[in-house]
Amino acid sequence: MQKFKLTRRTLLAAISTLSMLAALPSAAFAASGDIRIVMKDLLTSNPEDVAHIERIEEGLRSQGHDIDITIVDLPSEGYAEKLNLMLLSGDIPDLIYFQGGDEQIAQQGVLQDLNPLIEKTTYLKDALWPHNEARLANYPYLLYVYPPRTKAAVMRADLLAATGKPAPTDLESWDALLRAIPGTEIGDTTVKYGIIAPNNTSELDAVFDPAFGVEATWMKNDAGEWINSRVSDAEREKLAWYSKLFADGILDPEFVTSNWEVKEDKFYTGQVGVVMGTAGPVIGIYETKMAQVNPGAELTLLEPAAGLQAVDVSKESRGFAIPVTTEQTEAVMAFLDFVASPDGQFLDRLGFEGTHYTREGDTLTATEKFGAWYPRFIISDPSEYTPPINALSPLAQSALDQGVTHFRPDNAFVWPAELAAAVDGAETYYRTSVFRFVSGELSTETDWDAFVQGWMDAGGKAMTEYAREALK
Amino acid sequence: MAQHTYDKINSPHHGKVPSRVVSAVGSALNEDWSDDFREPRTAEFKDNFQKWWPYYLMMAPGLIYFAVFHYLPIWEAKLAFEDLRIIGPNVWVGLKHFVQLFASPAFVEVLLNTLIISAMKIAFVFPLPILLALLINEVRSPRFRQSVQSVIYLPHFLSWVVIAGIFIGALSPADGAINDLRDLVGLERRGYMTDSGSIRWVLVWSEAWRSAGWDSLLYFAAIMSIDPQLYEAAEMDGASRWHKMRHITLPGIVPTIATLFILNVGLFLNAGFDQVFNLTNDAIQDKIDIIDTYVFRLGITGGQFSLATAAGLFKGVIGMVMMLSAHFLSKRLTGKGVW
Repeated sequence: MQKFKLTRRTLLAAISTLSMLAALPSAAFAASGDIRIVMKDLLTSNPEDVAHIERIEEGLRSQGHDIDITIVDLPSEGYAEKLNLMLLSGDIPDLIYFQGGDEQIAQQGVLQDLNPLIEKTTYLKDALWPHNEARLANYPYLLYVYPPRTKAAVMRADLLAATGKPAPTDLESWDALLRAIPGTEIGDTTVKYGIIAPNNTSELDAVFDPAFGVEATWMKNDAGEWINSRVSDAEREKLAWYSKLFADGILDPEFVTSNWEVKEDKFYTGQVGVVMGTAGPVIGIYETKMAQVNPGAELTLLEPAAGLQAVDVSKESRGFAIPVTTEQTEAVMAFLDFVASPDGQFLDRLGFEGTHYTREGDTLTATEKFGAWYPRFIISDPSEYTPPINALSPLAQSALDQGVTHFRPDNAFVWPAELAAAVDGAETYYRTSVFRFVSGELSTETDWDAFVQGWMDAGGKAMTEYAREALK
Repeated sequence: MAQHTYDKINSPHHGKVPSRVVSAVGSALNEDWSDDFREPRTAEFKDNFQKWWPYYLMMAPGLIYFAVFHYLPIWEAKLAFEDLRIIGPNVWVGLKHFVQLFASPAFVEVLLNTLIISAMKIAFVFPLPILLALLINEVRSPRFRQSVQSVIYLPHFLSWVVIAGIFIGALSPADGAINDLRDLVGLERRGYMTDSGSIRWVLVWSEAWRSAGWDSLLYFAAIMSIDPQLYEAAEMDGASRWHKMRHITLPGIVPTIATLFILNVGLFLNAGFDQVFNLTNDAIQDKIDIIDTYVFRLGITGGQFSLATAAGLFKGVIGMVMMLSAHFLSKRLTGKGVW
């Protein structure tokens, strides 16, 4: 009898152990560990960063994850170079934010394929934007869940009215508007130039490429062969138009020696009519600064002439990577999944209660400091999470929406390391030649063939041969 | 007499005298003691160390610094012959990166730019501090001389970021001071910063503006060390100021000129990273892209560390060869060298 009782006890113990084991899958999902994160502008010297990380740890704990997060300080100035040197020295954190320079690391097999990891997440997989999914399919080592960084063109609303021209809708009306701007007066200021793009023509290309038929990085010529758009007839027509704008004093003649600060200064002080900025927060900054410099001045978002430049989906240009050396992959993914969750997004996008917003009942109100807060890790696709307070002004949000509306994936791809010198040589040659075409030093009529040959010799030939194999 | 000479030659104020010189001098003075000079080097060092050990101790931090930060890292230049691996050992690839580098048309252009810019700087910037020092030396009013010196030294303390801003502003075709002056004399306004024919001259003259005053300090110090009795004797012989400058001052600073020239030649391929990096733009990058900016762009920013190391090593070897050549040439022509 005694023996039976013991057996029954044993049986009960076994049943309870089995029950616990049956519950294990859900318990095993709870990740734990210490993770080290290196990220640009995430510093222990910033009390907000430290407090933000602490409340993320708390949030993770409330979801059953016992994760300690350590910030690895790296100076923001020259971050990409310093990160490369840190990794080369053998110090490899568990979560690495790259701002370029990741390809060489990935080619050595040091970074994990994120696709299968993201697939297992609860929130992160749904937080991705369409361009994120395309980029992860092409290059699975980098994750940057943010809206596409398209460019948007803006100008002062009162200047547009003063020109007497309607908001442009196509290339012809764009040309007419830009030509009407120089000499137009707004207040005490006479605007000198129609448009400016800092350092090179990239920002112009972002808005005008499709209007000339520059649809993608690689296009097919009449023979059906892949050629780089930079040596296409469409590019030639575009440069001829830029050249006319330059010759007629519409395009600021000092654009190539003007950096983004000079561009903004010329815009706010009324020297230039139209500028392009990154859709979203940057357009919001332009709006705020313009109103500060010229009280009452408002900006108007301009529609591109025929859609926006195709978005490069070969890979993320920046973002988070997980090295294969880490033993904390689960903890890192739990962290990323948390910041993609509604709770994490609330923390990451709204800042601190009492500082960046106030709460009265269910109503949240942004404070003056709300504009100083920025999401550190993720901005989910709006279909997954919409914050109760929109950090963007209506204009900035419209610019962002414009980018989403005109989103088209490009067909550019990641170059192998062996072609690095060729790509650099061709890029330098192209950029220098573009200025010479625009400034009139070279003619698109007579010097184009020599330019194409020069581009080929500078590295374009090797690039084209590789592209024709890659795009087959 | 002979003993006195021996002491003088080995005095610490004369530094280390090459043994063949000591031997020759010894032979000339007294055949018997030449053997005494040829004592084993280790014994000589031991004696010197025992005698001057506090000075050796003071030298030690400097020597350690150079050993750790300048000589040990040279070993890592082997990266030029390897493929870098973050995990596991690097892979030896021989001359792969050098072949890749020299096969790149851009590198040939970059090398050519470096040589042209460096040659222009040596030809036009190197003589300026000498000229400046000679002219300042002729200023008789000490107060005026000190004022001039202070003013011309100042640009040396400005960073290239600031200097680039000044030059871009001053050379602006829209409202730059230089173009305003051109306007005044009826010349057409010119975009110096975007003109492929002008940009190298901008590098040369901005370098001269920044460094001529500061560099003249060395020559001025050399002039100050010339024995005043030479000038007094020349004056008694009726020499003019031009004659004194031509026959006393200039020959007096030739050793300084030779040394600095050789050192400059050694740094020939250092065409000025900071300067070019801050003054470049897309319009003229192909004219002023130098080895250092190429290495930075491709290697540090682009993550091609092995390729960049190969370019850097190539630059270092060429620099070393040029410096040694200049040293031996100078020794042969003037009897003066770096050592």
